[in-house]
Amino acid sequence: MTEMARCPACERAYGSYEGLSTHFSEEAARSDASHIMWLNRNITKDKGRGKELGSLLFEFFDTGKTGLRVWVKQRFIERFFGLKPHPFVLALQHPAKAVLIGYVLEHQHFLRQWVRSLSWVLAKTDRADVVKEELDNIVTEFYGYGDDRPSHYELLIRMGQSLGLSRETVLGTPPLPATVSAIQTWQAIGRDKHWLETMAAMHSLELIANRDVKQDGAKITYFDPQILQNDEITPETKAFLHEGYEADVEHSEVPLEMVERYAKEFGLVEDVQITFLKSVEAFDSYLMARLERGMQFDGRLVAYAGGRAA
Amino acid sequence: MKVRRDGCVICGATWGDYWSEIEGQRMFFCCDVCANEFSNMVTEVKKKTGWESVDEIRMEGNYRGRVCEALSGSQSYTFFISFGDDGSIRNFVERPET
Ligand SMILES: [Zn+2]
Ligand SMILES: [Zn+2]
Repeated sequence: MTEMARCPACERAYGSYEGLSTHFSEEAARSDASHIMWLNRNITKDKGRGKELGSLLFEFFDTGKTGLRVWVKQRFIERFFGLKPHPFVLALQHPAKAVLIGYVLEHQHFLRQWVRSLSWVLAKTDRADVVKEELDNIVTEFYGYGDDRPSHYELLIRMGQSLGLSRETVLGTPPLPATVSAIQTWQAIGRDKHWLETMAAMHSLELIANRDVKQDGAKITYFDPQILQNDEITPETKAFLHEGYEADVEHSEVPLEMVERYAKEFGLVEDVQITFLKSVEAFDSYLMARLERGMQFDGRLVAYAGGRAA
Repeated sequence: MKVRRDGCVICGATWGDYWSEIEGQRMFFCCDVCANEFSNMVTEVKKKTGWESVDEIRMEGNYRGRVCEALSGSQSYTFFISFGDDGSIRNFVERPET
């Protein structure tokens, strides 16, 4: 193997996945938390498989068969819609009111960071197609197209109001620590990384609401689409969820195609992979913040954390 | 205290080699973060329940958060717990009866 391999925990570069494997084994032997955690969550908890670690890492990072766009999708689906779906996703299938309240109170902070992150891309890129894509996304998410098509941000606030929260409460509630920490991660990515890595880090997250993930191996989707048809949730909640359901197919696919194309051109495939994985990690704990916020309103939501429905 | 013996007391991993004494007992952890998590969990359970000692903590879930049942003699106490990056407690919720 002659490929370059970058450590997803500490970002050091190695000449091969065998080299990276040796590095991981050494870090694990000295009980380094960040490297062990990464192995536990992404490869295996079993030290007994240490001998095959080089090939396991190679397989995990290999984009040769599918290309970068599909690789991103597969890794994202495994993490959030795989055998152990994220507890927030389980809770959102048929959401209790407290789940949606948790969603609203944390997500308004996410959407504000969203604009900051995409603005990092705008500030750094020299590609016109990227500028257009990000401008269109910012308008849809945050500014809206007049009264007929309010922004996703406005739809979120209206969803909160339909759940009994005032606009002032939605906008005035500070984020939970897990949300703050995730936001700091995305802000650091925008500031320190290549704009293409930021693009991958952010737009990959729109896969969460992509209704087509089942075609790519997801066990479940973000929510049971049935809830858009019946009366389980408020009309404002439907409007919010429906908007993401419709928009995020295009919003994740188009930018990820650009990411794939430019990553090849710039020789940044491995860097994009590492930054994407960091963003996924932040998103994972951010989704827990939504559920933990919901627990403040309904303690029964803790049941989702055990991996089963309440 | 009864703890798992097939890997890290918290996460079950066999990587690492971090030993820590908790409640007077030497326990295997994969890293210092997991050791902190377990130590903080035991301390919090004792504080919340007033128990002198804990016999066992059964856990369901993963790094995202765990639903646990602590046992002491004939008593039991269930709760949700999640941790920050350093192993400090991020959230602790007593589980209501459902
Ligand atoms: Zn490393
Ligand atoms: Zn562990």
